[in-house]
Amino acid sequence: MKTLTIIIFSGFFSLSSTLASAGLLEDKNCGSCHRLNAEETEKSFTGPNLHYAGNKFQPKWLSEFLKNPEIIRPGGFINNPGFLKGDSESQPPHPSFPEEEANAMAAELMGLKITKQTSVTTEPLSKGQRAKIKYQFERTFSCISCHQSLNLAGKVRGGISGPSLVNAGNRLQADWVADWLSTPETYTRKGRMPHYKMDPVTLIQFTRFLMMLKKENIK
Amino acid sequence: MILTLWVTGCGQNEQTAPAIKPPTQQEVGKTISQTPQPVLAQVTEKTRQTYQWYCAQCHGMKGKGDGINAKFLTVPPRNHTKAEYLETRTDEQLFEAIKFGGLSVGRAPCMPAWGHTLDEDTIHSLVQYIRELCQCQAL
Ligand code: HEC
Ligand code: HEC
Ligand code: HEC
Repeated sequence: MKTLTIIIFSGFFSLSSTLASAGLLEDKNCGSCHRLNAEETEKSFTGPNLHYAGNKFQPKWLSEFLKNPEIIRPGGFINNPGFLKGDSESQPPHPSFPEEEANAMAAELMGLKITKQTSVTTEPLSKGQRAKIKYQFERTFSCISCHQSLNLAGKVRGGISGPSLVNAGNRLQADWVADWLSTPETYTRKGRMPHYKMDPVTLIQFTRFLMMLKKENIK
Repeated sequence: MILTLWVTGCGQNEQTAPAIKPPTQQEVGKTISQTPQPVLAQVTEKTRQTYQWYCAQCHGMKGKGDGINAKFLTVPPRNHTKAEYLETRTDEQLFEAIKFGGLSVGRAPCMPAWGHTLDEDTIHSLVQYIRELCQCQAL
């Protein structure tokens, strides 16, 4: 039932995405920390951009997060003055909400979209492909230096300056991940992650690799 | 692409500069024994900001190798204030490490490649900034 409401809501809002910017998110003042409109290009925010939340997140994860926020950026948000100092452990907890409100906000967030992405398959990688991409994730592209992920034993490993990817498969949309890895500038004016020029096959394999990371696999 | 390389090659690219430099130095009447000095990239406020924005995540705000990722890496980020090691590396080696990543110069893969993020002039200026941090030159 819950998921049904979300599907209906998100369907509604993606049809009328221009209307979706107001409402509950505004009432709750989410816009004081998050960018909610594509037009707000001048302001600098203290939280991640949400004006493309409908492209980026899985609706179920959004509701879950708003009920029970978890830390995604162990090093803090990249624009915060404390980011490089490593004192982000003292970040205040994210606002949380009762079930119904959380679901309604998640539905509203799913209506915030900026692009039409190309679709990427989320079919799991074969064992061999997975081993290959894991190697590249750690060595060729140094992703692990800045991102937490899971090693073969199911343990969390990696740097903390980027968002944790341990739960990427439950949190992010595959199409968005592929888009991010090829054209991050669509989503953020200036990030701290290096740009990569992956060939199309590697790009899709990386996306599928990240979509296999799920927190249920933590051991 | 080829054009950009060509243009920077004619600008302050330190590798190509020495070829045109020596005659002028002699004309000016400097000591003949002096080896030609390459034109060094300038360290500007922008260089420092670039270092803070990207490199400090691992190398730390002061370049001491103590950024927020440092304790999670299998090989620690290089301390850019330590002359002993950096004296043993040429500017070209540092340039390559930044542009193509640690693996390209036989160092650890934890050091990412910045060649698709930063242009060559910026990378040259970062090399000079690291020389400022270590207060050292290649021996
Ligand atoms: C005081 C500032 C602040 C307010 C107010 C705020 N947030 Fe956040 N929000 C943050 C920060 C900082 C993060 C990053 C947390 C992390 O990465 O661990 C975040 C993360 C999020 C995320 C996850 C985004 C991502 O990319 O990981 C969502 C979704 C979100 N907030 C929704 C909301 C909603 C909806 C509201 C309004 C009810 C709201 N936030 C109000 C600061 C705020
Ligand atoms: C130097 C550190 C660094 C490296 C190396 C790095 N990233 Fe990132 N990554 C970040 C940061 C910081 C962000 C947050 C956005 C930004 O600042 O660009 C990010 C964002 C992301 C996101 C979006 C996550 C979200 O929830 O918003 C994904 C996916 C991602 N990186 C995957 C990768 C992959 C795959 C690699 C290797 C091919 C990689 N990263 C290499 C630092 C890094
Ligand atoms: C994700 C972490 C990370 C980031 C971000 C990073 N580095 Fe590094 N860097 C390292 C590590 C780790 C080493 C050590 C490699 C070794 O000793 O094998 C290193 C080594 C180096 C070296 C020395 C290479 C050598 O010969 O040992 C230089 C020069 C360097 N980095 C410059 C930079 C610059 C400039 C930036 C920013 C554009 C940067 N690094 C960003 C992790 C990082």
